[in-house]
Amino acid sequence: MTKTLLASLLALGAVTAHAESATYAVDPSHTFVTFEANHMGTSTLRGRFDKKEGSVVLDKAGKSGKAEIVIDTTSISTGVPALDTHLKSKDFFNAAEFGTAKFTADKFNFSGDKVTDLNGTLTLLGKTQPVTLKATNFNCYLNPMLKREVCGGDFETTIARTQYGMAYGLNYGLPDNIRLLIQVEAVKQ
Amino acid sequence: MVRCARGVLLAVMASSSAGAARAAPESFVIDPANTHVHWEVRHFGTSTSRGRFDAISGSVVLDRSARSGAASFSISTASISTGFAPFDGVLRGPYLLGTQEYPTAYFVANRFAFDGDRLASVTGDFTLRGVASTLTLRALRFACRTDAEPAREVCGGDFETEFNRSAFGITHSLPFVADKVRVLLQIEAVRQ
Repeated sequence: MTKTLLASLLALGAVTAHAESATYAVDPSHTFVTFEANHMGTSTLRGRFDKKEGSVVLDKAGKSGKAEIVIDTTSISTGVPALDTHLKSKDFFNAAEFGTAKFTADKFNFSGDKVTDLNGTLTLLGKTQPVTLKATNFNCYLNPMLKREVCGGDFETTIARTQYGMAYGLNYGLPDNIRLLIQVEAVKQ
Repeated sequence: MVRCARGVLLAVMASSSAGAARAAPESFVIDPANTHVHWEVRHFGTSTSRGRFDAISGSVVLDRSARSGAASFSISTASISTGFAPFDGVLRGPYLLGTQEYPTAYFVANRFAFDGDRLASVTGDFTLRGVASTLTLRALRFACRTDAEPAREVCGGDFETEFNRSAFGITHSLPFVADKVRVLLQIEAVRQ
């Protein structure tokens, strides 16, 4: 009983200190990173990462936020198993040594009540570089099945993979610039 | 309806051969490693859910001098892949793709439009869940290249189109999941 009361008081204190700040857990069924790479100047190759987890702290009134999403590099999926194996090898993601990649964002920029872009970092192959994710959609809604608020949207950025030490195939016509399309939905906790 | 679509294709190919004396139709078979159908649909007006079909086969006849062509693609509906297995199961179910009853979607096209030498669009019949409807794939880029190893000519590019899934009887989860489906196709085909 005492413990419960104490926990309630602590929780109240936390709520009072950050009146509008809420934590959201990433919904893995609506959160994916898809990459696009031009193939030999002809067509666009796409792939995605299937396993990921993360959380977002969003303060809509204070117009600030923080996010962290960890991606399992072994879960890369292009629909072509032989290509997945090559992408997981040392030529590209070196998934045996670097099993995860990580996005963090510590600055959320707003226009009105909509997030417009996030400033943060991407850690890939153990190297951390600054990235800006541009929001192409952002919205919060009450999910009727979960009966909770869900916030999310679509974000995109383009990275130069050589900045992370991934240089394989540049001389065969594989591009340095890779476009990342990120779907995120996160459920209020 | 499917048989009918195949019959049309055979007729198109036959007429293509008949015209061979004056032009130069070339046959291509798609490279499954570089041919994918990706789709996008808006979820709760918030984010874009994506998926793809992994098993596609098809062939194309292209006559670059006559600026014409014909294409036939078969897509295994059960090969749908979103990266989230429970979704894939729901999508294969009777209320959505109904993959047991409708295991294959088809695109059969014989209207190739060119902008100069560049393929600009391909129009044909798209059959999904047994319903056929006219669909135009717009070419975002199109190019042919000669690979050294293996030595071969490859033509392909990126195409896009969109349709309303309700037109094919797929109304589950409307309006929370949007009616409009955007389709992005990566196609590369090897000259035979």
